[in-house]
Amino acid sequence: MSPFCEIFKRSVLQLVRRPVYWVAMFLLPLFVFLFLSSLMAEGLPQKAPAGVIDNDGSPLSRKITQNLNGMQMVDITAMPESFTEARHMMQEGKIYGFFLIPHDFEADLLAGRSPEISFYTNMTYFVPASLLFKTFKTTALFAKAGVASEVISSVGFTQNPSPLLQPVNIVTRPISNPELNYAIYLCVSFLPATLQLMIILVTCFSLGQEIKYHASRRLLEMARGSIVRAIYAKLLPQTLIWTVIVIFMESWLFRWQGYPMHGSWWWLTLSEILFVLASQGFGLICFGIFPNLRLSLSMGALIGILSFSVAAFSFPVESMYPAIGIFSWVVPIRYNYLIYVDQALNGIDIYYSRYWFAVYFIFIVLPFALMPRLKRAFAQQAYVP
Amino acid sequence: MKKFFREYYDTFLREGRMVKGDIGILIFFILLPLAYPIVYSLIYNPELVRDVKMVVVDHDRTPLSRELTRRLDATEGIRLIGYASDLSEARRAIDSHKAYGILEIPEGFARRAGRLEQANAVMYCEMSLLLRYRAILVGATDVMQDLGATLTTERIDEIAPLAETITAGADLMPIHNVTMGNLESGFDSFIMPGILILILQQSLVLAVGMCGGASREHPFRSCYAPFGATRPIIASILARTTLFLMIALIPTLYIIHYVPLMFRFPMAGNIFEEILFILPMMLSSIMLGMIFQGVVRERESVFLLWVVTSVIFLFLSGLTWPRYAFRAPWLFLSDCVPATWGVEGFIRMNTNGASLSQVGESYRNLWILTGVYAIGAYVVQRFVQYPAVRRHAGQSVSASC
Repeated sequence: MSPFCEIFKRSVLQLVRRPVYWVAMFLLPLFVFLFLSSLMAEGLPQKAPAGVIDNDGSPLSRKITQNLNGMQMVDITAMPESFTEARHMMQEGKIYGFFLIPHDFEADLLAGRSPEISFYTNMTYFVPASLLFKTFKTTALFAKAGVASEVISSVGFTQNPSPLLQPVNIVTRPISNPELNYAIYLCVSFLPATLQLMIILVTCFSLGQEIKYHASRRLLEMARGSIVRAIYAKLLPQTLIWTVIVIFMESWLFRWQGYPMHGSWWWLTLSEILFVLASQGFGLICFGIFPNLRLSLSMGALIGILSFSVAAFSFPVESMYPAIGIFSWVVPIRYNYLIYVDQALNGIDIYYSRYWFAVYFIFIVLPFALMPRLKRAFAQQAYVP
Repeated sequence: MKKFFREYYDTFLREGRMVKGDIGILIFFILLPLAYPIVYSLIYNPELVRDVKMVVVDHDRTPLSRELTRRLDATEGIRLIGYASDLSEARRAIDSHKAYGILEIPEGFARRAGRLEQANAVMYCEMSLLLRYRAILVGATDVMQDLGATLTTERIDEIAPLAETITAGADLMPIHNVTMGNLESGFDSFIMPGILILILQQSLVLAVGMCGGASREHPFRSCYAPFGATRPIIASILARTTLFLMIALIPTLYIIHYVPLMFRFPMAGNIFEEILFILPMMLSSIMLGMIFQGVVRERESVFLLWVVTSVIFLFLSGLTWPRYAFRAPWLFLSDCVPATWGVEGFIRMNTNGASLSQVGESYRNLWILTGVYAIGAYVVQRFVQYPAVRRHAGQSVSASC
C-alpha cells in the first residue's frame, strides 16, 4: 500500500473510533441545522403579546382596540388600567408594548381639539418590538385617515379622499424576499458559519492529537518524511465527510426548506465545496501558527465564534468601525455568504462574484507557507498543555 | 462531620492548585469573560445603520421629483450616490455591490400629483441584510408622510379654505411613539446585555468542563482520592463550587457592571439586585459544567463539544427570536438552559429597570435549575467522573488519538 493510502486508512480509523468525532462532525452540525430551521419555520414571529390602555371607553376607542387585535402580528393580551400598570407588565415581560388612548379621545377628536394617541414599544426585544411598532403605527394611521376623510367630506369634498390624504406614495419592493422572511437570513448564514467553526476545530483537534499522544513522528515516518503528504492524507477523510455534509446543507436549505435560489446550482455547489477546503485551510493556518493543541483550538474557537458577528450577517460591514470591519474579510464564511447573496438570493452573473471565488484559493494555498513550521512541530512532538 | 470538612478543605486546595497551574482553564475563567465582551461590543458599537447607498432613476425630471430625491438623501438611513439613466444601469450598480437600493420615479409623477391623483414612486431594495432594508424603509416612510403633509396642506387651501381643522393645528390627531428600554433602538444596546450573560454561562461551563478533563488526565494533581478511599462526594462538589464562584466573582462584576458602563449600554437596574439575581445563574452553570464533565475525556474535547452550543443557546434564550413563538419541544429545551432565564431577567433589570421581584419568575426558575442540576452533578460525579479518574490513576494515559 502506498504511504498516502496507509495514512488515509489510519486517519479513517481514528475518526471512526473516537466518539468525539461523531458528535462534532455529524451530531452537532445536524442538530443545529434541524434546530434553526425548525425554530424559525414560521418566517416571522406572529402574535406579539401587547396591551391597550383605553382611558376613553368610547365606541371609537373600542373600534381601534378591535382593529389592533385583528392584526396578524399582535395579540392584545391585557387591558391595563393605567400607564403605571402597563409599564409594570412590560418590565415583568408579560407584554412587549402598549397603545394608549387618552381620556375624552372621541369627544376631543370630534370637537377638533387634536387628542394625541401614543404607543410604547419595548426595544429591549428588537424583533417583537419592531413588529409591534409597525402594527401600532399602521393602526394609528388608519384611524387618523378615517377621521380625516370624514372631516374632508363634511366640508363638501366629494371625490375619493385618499389621494388628498396621501398625495405621494413610495412603494417598497423587497427584491427576492417579499414576505421579509427572517428565517432566510439566519439560516443561510448561521448554518455554514456553524460548519466553519466545526471544521476549524476538528482540523486543529485532529492534528493536535498526533502531537499530544506522541504519534506525529510516526506519522511523518509513514509519509516518508513528507509533511505535505502526511497532512493531506490525514485530512482527506475529513474533507470527504465535510463535503457530504455541506452538500446536504445546501440541499436542506435551498431545496427542502425552499429558501430563495435564483441562480445556478453548479456555482453554489462549487462555492460550498471550496468553502470546506478554505475552512480546513483556515484551521491549518491556525494550527501552523500555534502548533499546540490548546492554543490552536482557542484561536479557532475565538475566530469561529466571532465570525458569526464579524462576517456581517446582521450588521453591515460598512456600518462597523473600519478597524473592526476589516476582519470580516479574513474569514472564509464571509465569502460563502457573499456568494450566496450573489448567486442564490439575487441570482446575478458569476462575473460579479469572481473575487469571492478567488479568495477561497488564498485560504487553500496559504497553509503551504507554514508547512516547514508544522514539520518541525511534528518532528519534535512536544505536548504543551 | 470532621471527614466532611477535611474533604472540603483538601479539595478546595488541590483543585485550586490545579486551576492555578493550568493556563487553559484560566483562559476560560478569566481571559474569555474579560476579552470577549469588549470585542463583541466593538463590532456592534456603531449601533445604527446609516447612509445606505442608493441610486435614483428619475424618468420625471421635475421640481417635485427632485424634491423627493433631496428629502430622501437628507434622511439618516439613506444616501444617494447618483443618478442612473434606466433601471438596467441601476441594476448594474446593485449587482456590483455599489448600492443597495433603487428609487424609480416614473414619468408623470409631478403631473399626477398636480391632478390630485396619487403620485407613485417605487423603491427596490436589495435584501441581503434586514437592517439595511429597515433603514431604507424608515427613511422612505418618513419622507412619504412629510412630503405628503406639505402637499395636502397646499391643496386643501385650494379646494376648501374651510377645512381649517386639518391644516390649522397642522395635525388632526397627532401620533406619538416612544421606545422604552433601549431608547435609541441601537443594535449593540439590544444584543449585548443578553450576550454578556451567555458569555458568562459559557465561560463557566467550559472552564468547569475542562477541569474535569484535566482531572482525568492528571488524577494525582486533582482533588479526587484516587485509591478507593470513600470520601464524601458532596463535600468535594461544594468545595469546587465555592472555588469556582470565587474565581468567577471579579469577571462577573466586570461583565454585569463595567462593560455596560464602558459602552454606555442602558443601565437602569440596581447593581445589588443584579448580583443577587446572577448568583443562581452562576451556580446552575457550574452544576451544568459538572454534568458536562461526564463526557469530557480529555481537556481539549470541550472545544469540540461545547463551543458550538453558544449558537444554540443564543437562539434558545429568545433574544433574537421571541420565546412566545417557540414550539413546545424547543420551549422545553429553552427552559432547561440557565442562560435563558439569566438573559431574560438580566436584560429586563438592566435595560427596563425591573426590580428583582418583577423578574421573580426567572429568579425562581434559576434556583430550580440549580437544584435539578446539582442532583445531576452528584449522579455524574458519583457514577462517571470518580470511577473514570480512579481508572486513569491506575493506568498511564493511553494513547488513542
